[in-house]
Amino acid sequence: MNLTRKQFLMAMMGAAALPLASPAFAQQNAPIVIGATVPITGPLSLTGKQYHNSLTMAEEDINKAGGINGRNIKIVFEDTQASNSTAVNAFIKLAQDAKPSFFFLSSYSTQNLAAAPEVKKVGVPTMYAGGADVVAESGNEWMFRIRPADSVAAVGMVRCAIDILKTKKPGILYIQNDFGQGGANVAAKQLEAAGVPVVGMEAYGQNDKDFSAQLLALRSKGADTILMLVYPQDGALLLRQAKMLGLKMPLVTSAAALVPAALQLLAPGDLDNVMGVVDAHMDASVGERMKGYVERYKTKFGTDPDPYGLSYYDGAMLMADGMRKVGTDAKALRDWLANVKNWQGIGHDYSYDAKGNGVFDLAVVKAKPGTKTLELVQSIKVN
Amino acid sequence: MADFIQLFINGLAIGSVYALAAIGFIIVYSATGVVNFAAGQFVMFGTFAGVAALMNFGMPWPVGYAVSLAAMAVFGALFFLLIYLPLRKSAVLTIIIGTVAIGITMQNAAQLTFGSWPFRLPSPLEGIMVDIGGAVIAAHALAVVVVTGVMIALLWLLFYRTSVGIGMRAVAQDVQAARLMGLNVNRLLALSWILAAVLAGVAGLMLGPMWFADVSMGDPIALKAFAATIIGGFGSLPGAIAGGLFVGLTEVLGASYISSAYKDLIAFGIMILFLLVRPQGVFGERIQDRG
Amino acid sequence: MRIPLALAFGIFAIGLVLSAFLSDYNLRLLNLSVIAAVAVIGLNFAFGYAGLISLSHAAFVGMGAYGVAILTTKFGWLPWLAVPVAIGITVVFSALIGFPLLRLRGHYLALATLGLNVAFYIVATNWIELTGGTNGIARIPELSFLGYPLADERSFLWFGLGVLGVLAAGASLIHRSRYGRAMMAVRDDEIASEMTGINTTVVKIAAFALAAGCAAVAGCLFAFHVRFVAPEDFNYAHSITYLAMLIVGGEGSIVGAILGAIVLTFLPEWLRFLGTAYLAFFGLLMLGILIFLPTGIVGLGRFLPWRRPKRPAAILGVRSTEVSS
Repeated sequence: MNLTRKQFLMAMMGAAALPLASPAFAQQNAPIVIGATVPITGPLSLTGKQYHNSLTMAEEDINKAGGINGRNIKIVFEDTQASNSTAVNAFIKLAQDAKPSFFFLSSYSTQNLAAAPEVKKVGVPTMYAGGADVVAESGNEWMFRIRPADSVAAVGMVRCAIDILKTKKPGILYIQNDFGQGGANVAAKQLEAAGVPVVGMEAYGQNDKDFSAQLLALRSKGADTILMLVYPQDGALLLRQAKMLGLKMPLVTSAAALVPAALQLLAPGDLDNVMGVVDAHMDASVGERMKGYVERYKTKFGTDPDPYGLSYYDGAMLMADGMRKVGTDAKALRDWLANVKNWQGIGHDYSYDAKGNGVFDLAVVKAKPGTKTLELVQSIKVN
Repeated sequence: MADFIQLFINGLAIGSVYALAAIGFIIVYSATGVVNFAAGQFVMFGTFAGVAALMNFGMPWPVGYAVSLAAMAVFGALFFLLIYLPLRKSAVLTIIIGTVAIGITMQNAAQLTFGSWPFRLPSPLEGIMVDIGGAVIAAHALAVVVVTGVMIALLWLLFYRTSVGIGMRAVAQDVQAARLMGLNVNRLLALSWILAAVLAGVAGLMLGPMWFADVSMGDPIALKAFAATIIGGFGSLPGAIAGGLFVGLTEVLGASYISSAYKDLIAFGIMILFLLVRPQGVFGERIQDRG
Repeated sequence: MRIPLALAFGIFAIGLVLSAFLSDYNLRLLNLSVIAAVAVIGLNFAFGYAGLISLSHAAFVGMGAYGVAILTTKFGWLPWLAVPVAIGITVVFSALIGFPLLRLRGHYLALATLGLNVAFYIVATNWIELTGGTNGIARIPELSFLGYPLADERSFLWFGLGVLGVLAAGASLIHRSRYGRAMMAVRDDEIASEMTGINTTVVKIAAFALAAGCAAVAGCLFAFHVRFVAPEDFNYAHSITYLAMLIVGGEGSIVGAILGAIVLTFLPEWLRFLGTAYLAFFGLLMLGILIFLPTGIVGLGRFLPWRRPKRPAAILGVRSTEVSS
């Protein structure tokens, strides 16, 4: 038994020593290094995979188009794994080993918040996709959001409910986390200010699978429209259960319930009488560039692209544009980004404000009756 | 009233799944004394066995279900051989951490195989709705309650009317005495793990169509199953059933009549209350020198 | 008194040497290890010495962390005033909840403490006015030691090592005292301990409170290191991790607690090269350690020449006190 233990230990130590033997990062002259901390493993990789793919595609496209004034870019990925701590570890590892000129953080607000002090220390422009408004409140001049903030999305949903659906007695159903709570409060205030106060607000936990209690409660309170702030899986479940319970009122869902990962769980009937307020309508009908993006992504990776991935792609293109104009000096690049106005990405129009929020447009979509194909109802711009 | 019936039956359906998971958990605990913290991942494996058989291989219903359950039985046997046997002499906590470690491995092996997208496991009763007193109930939810009832009846038959089952109960009560009576203890212990795996498989196959299948579904189920066994009474089969149904009903009815945000706190609060006031649960035996 | 001092000095010396030439990234990992080690030394009191299976340790770390976070950000307290208050609240709470809870043993206690951790998470997530909900509390101020701000990894590491050294020495003192022996007696045989006149209830609550106190210290360190706290940093998965650190390192041993914390903090980072398979491998590795090294890494110390047991091995049990430090 002694020998087996020793052998096992040797193997373990050997495995542990492997990474220490990896070669030091060779400082070459040619490629511009970009760092990206992305959830590649664990439960968060559901969305992480999307922007892992889109950033890879962006890298290819930028280099194919001649790179940055002749220099190629190279995106180095590091796995944020599953916790805030490891996400910050990934960031610091990248900052130290690869010394990037630019960073992309993940789409999880808590990871963004945890990494913010380190971003400030490193002093390099950083793009992130977490939605919590509070990420932009800390006065960190290096961080730029590449998606609509949660409050923007909530306002968009309210506008959809009031202007398009003409709601008089709205109800709100939200997931019990920063996104859901924050958005629900913003929406409730807006509705109140517009003279249509909510008749009920119901919450559910992140791991909940049955929403009959919440849905029935809203129905019994007389809600004529329900605004749902959800995540992909529970969003899809909610839509299905609403139909099973026989709810007749229109539903306005946040973007997550309509991302490809959620859409593949639904039947066309589940989307009946449902409107979605999404980041960007990803359909060929929007225009040539969107069509090209969607088709190329699908051919390359075999799955449908979602708006999260698109925002990272646009962000990378925006970054490349900036680098071409002002070079890779951190301060110059940051100042250029902070002054960007009306930059036309594929998914959005980017104009940055003092807090680092750059996206204020959304799309209202609904499914073509009897199908799962989404079509644009209206574009919304929030001030 | 229709609303109440709706909520009640939904609560029963969820509770039945928790009950099945809890029963598997209890069988293993009674026979081997192991608190299996990977119980949730067992259920997840059951669901994904269904995904593989019914969706990836496109087998017809009866074949697909049978193959899934057979796969779970094999998994249970492997677990017994590779995890339980090496660890059986270790301290309680070591085994607990061991099951946690294997749970992590199971979850990530599933993720490597199936990816992190959720799946929609189909049910033969897809889309069929039943009207009961004004409430519209999914036939699948009713089927879950019925199947659970049938499983419990079968288990009763097994444990009280077959020699194998009586042998398993004997091993659960006193391993040494069972050995002295000439019972093949190892075989019976292996059977306990296999049975637990199959029950988790049934739970998983029932759960998949209701909830969607994803690789991280295991932990929340395990937590509720633990609460169910504590409330019902550790080591007691009727306790696991009562506890599971209670937790399911509390979840749904608590969300409706008390608070939807804090409903999980209600279930866990009651569990802690039971632990403080009546640790043997509703049906358990008095705890003398437990632990 | 020699061994506790040697322990503290050793920790500090090794840490100082390492901090001289390690990079920022590795220094950060060391800091995370030190914080975890502080927590696990606490867990060692509850589980290693007193035999209480506590799966709520991360909740106590969280109470310490949220305590200082709330006091410094919402109420504007000075960090050094917030720290003792946060630790005090956690210790008092643990003693109060320990009173009814510690009548349970074994897996009943494990599940009860698990429920406690889950309850903590639910409350932290939902009591938004106080805790900020899932977005947590950000922009916690920097900690300064004797006027010197702990602004980077290196200076924080020196401070953390100091705290760790003091706590390790203290733990060693307790281990050698009659209080430590009382805890171990309760762990080994509660009825016999009662018969020798030991008040087992007080001993168990004291061990639990001591563990919670160390956890709260770790929580304060965490809060001032990352300067951001969120509920998911203190969920039950972290409690299980702390327990795993103790077992892998060697339960009942202070050196074991520190080693376990270091190994399980560095291991996921070392395994990054495995890409998507790293977690599965990590689980298997843990399982392997549990099967092949039941006494933890510290148990390997038996192979060191000056640690050979004086009596034949057959007389010593697996969890012999000779092996722990």
